[in-house]
Amino acid sequence: MGLLDDVAKVLISEETLQARTAELGQAVNEIYDDTDRPLLVCVLKGAFMFLADLTRHLEMRHEVDFMEVSSYGAGTRSSGVVRILLDLERNIQGRHVLIVEDIVDSGRTLDYITRNLQTRGPASMRVCTLLSKPSRREIEVPLDMVGFEVPDEFVVGYGLDFAEEYRNLPFIGVLKEEVYQSGE
Amino acid sequence: MNKSIPNAIERVLLDEETITARVRELAAQISADYAGLDDLVLVGVLKGAFIFMADLARRLTVAHHVDFIALSSYNRDAVSTGAVRLIMDTRTSVTGRNVLVVEDILDTGHTLDYLVRTFRARNPASLRTCVLISKPERRQVKVPIDYLGFEIPNEWVVGYGLDYADRFRTLPYIGVLKREVYE
Repeated sequence: MGLLDDVAKVLISEETLQARTAELGQAVNEIYDDTDRPLLVCVLKGAFMFLADLTRHLEMRHEVDFMEVSSYGAGTRSSGVVRILLDLERNIQGRHVLIVEDIVDSGRTLDYITRNLQTRGPASMRVCTLLSKPSRREIEVPLDMVGFEVPDEFVVGYGLDFAEEYRNLPFIGVLKEEVYQSGE
Repeated sequence: MNKSIPNAIERVLLDEETITARVRELAAQISADYAGLDDLVLVGVLKGAFIFMADLARRLTVAHHVDFIALSSYNRDAVSTGAVRLIMDTRTSVTGRNVLVVEDILDTGHTLDYLVRTFRARNPASLRTCVLISKPERRQVKVPIDYLGFEIPNEWVVGYGLDYADRFRTLPYIGVLKREVYE
């Protein structure tokens, strides 16, 4: 498989990912019960695989909803403002919202999404992210649950892509430098 | 996994192991069929297909992209034509690419038929469909299914992406909903 040749090393194996996702599921189970009926908000595309596995472990009644966003371009990056391509189907006013993210990097997009959703008056809002790169953080965003803290390397797989490739690898790998430096 | 079965579920129709095994078979077949072909894009239909997509994509051994679309129906009158409102289109163009539409369930067939016609009009290099669950008794319009997970009888099923009013969508198995829940 050609894609594997581009991976320098496996950072987090499939087994480790699955075990940690189960633990995160238990952590979510501790927070909410049936009466809370939390709404899990998935930011596409990166988080869909994590969401699929996380929800398998949830015991309380819950729903899932999706958002897709795209950047307006370099000029707006520092503000974190993104264009909402797909908004939530559900009204979150009075709801307990759990944002499910694949990775928190600079934190700017998540910060903006959090502020955007906060204006809608949810009963509570929390964030569960599979990966966090603290060394890249430019803005402080509260993370309630973190799967793994990872170093500042180019990670792909389990939903994370480089130019839309590698998203489907069942593990988290580090991309070879020559792949993302090739300037395609 | 010690997830308890909700009271609303009459019985488990397809358990987790059975689904996992079948998804692996489908992934192997798709990987073989698309071996050597470039530019495969899997288009998942939200919300229902996201779990099937997550499990199918990571078992494929052929390079591919993943994209999602979101639909909403206009109203009951539109059911007979299958016209649906595309509330989010694919992120990238499908023209000239090998498109595989990934759906959780095929019921009347109207929605998938509409999607197939919509994508065909965009001149993809090829267009196929992959459906996890089919209810042939419910079919009103003939739609070609290239990859099929399971044929099931006409019962209300939930889990593995399938919902009842947004409930039960993330059960790791497919279960039959009790009649009294939806009647």
